[in-house]
Amino acid sequence: MILIRAIIRPEKKDEVLAELSQAGFNAVTAVDVVGRGKQKGIKIGGVVYDEIPKTMLIMAVRAEYKQEIVKVIMEAAKTGEKGAYGDGKIFITPVSEVYTVSSGMKEL
Amino acid sequence: MQEILAIVRMNKTGATKKALIEAGVAGFTAFKVMGRGKLVDDPAVIAERKAAMMAMPGAEEQDAEMLIDGFLDGHRLFPRRMFTMLVHDEDVTGIVEAIMKANRTENKVGDGKIIVMPMLDAVRVRTGESGEDAV
Repeated sequence: MILIRAIIRPEKKDEVLAELSQAGFNAVTAVDVVGRGKQKGIKIGGVVYDEIPKTMLIMAVRAEYKQEIVKVIMEAAKTGEKGAYGDGKIFITPVSEVYTVSSGMKEL
Repeated sequence: MQEILAIVRMNKTGATKKALIEAGVAGFTAFKVMGRGKLVDDPAVIAERKAAMMAMPGAEEQDAEMLIDGFLDGHRLFPRRMFTMLVHDEDVTGIVEAIMKANRTENKVGDGKIIVMPMLDAVRVRTGESGEDAV
């Protein structure tokens, strides 16, 4: 099992969620976060904005679906043909155990 | 050292906090999140819950059935509380059991998930101690 944390543009959330659902990965948790990237935020006029609102999607899935989910998120979250700064990042970490509370079952 | 992520119902926050303290968790962080689970393929699983929700006041409004369906079968995001905590390897089983016991309901779906992940290192800011001592 792996945990996927994807930080995307808030306005792309609905599109990414719809695409994920269509690809068969319905289970997801979304958190509103603020952050900045390598570009140190955005400079508009003389003001630097370094707390840019983003949405973080968290999902625990079987490791064999990694490539597929990353591809779905990348395609849906990208803006324009080549993508742009601020489209987001995807982090993947290992998970040792997953439990479902209602059934007490281990694994998904 | 392991990190436990637990996603539970909003109204179970108090029960979960109590269960965690009884299970001996040193500290935890909780946030409000929005989420959804696996799609419900079999409408019979949620039929009882749907009937109960349709009997609530306000359910006679025109979009109510559509909204209730959306919440119950897992298309929409709904509010949940996410707990995250660091625990020693040997305590994981006990704490997972405690969270599950505090959060189990009769609603068949939506009770939440618990995710256990390995954590490489932790540092206590006050003293600078790291590793297992910092938990």
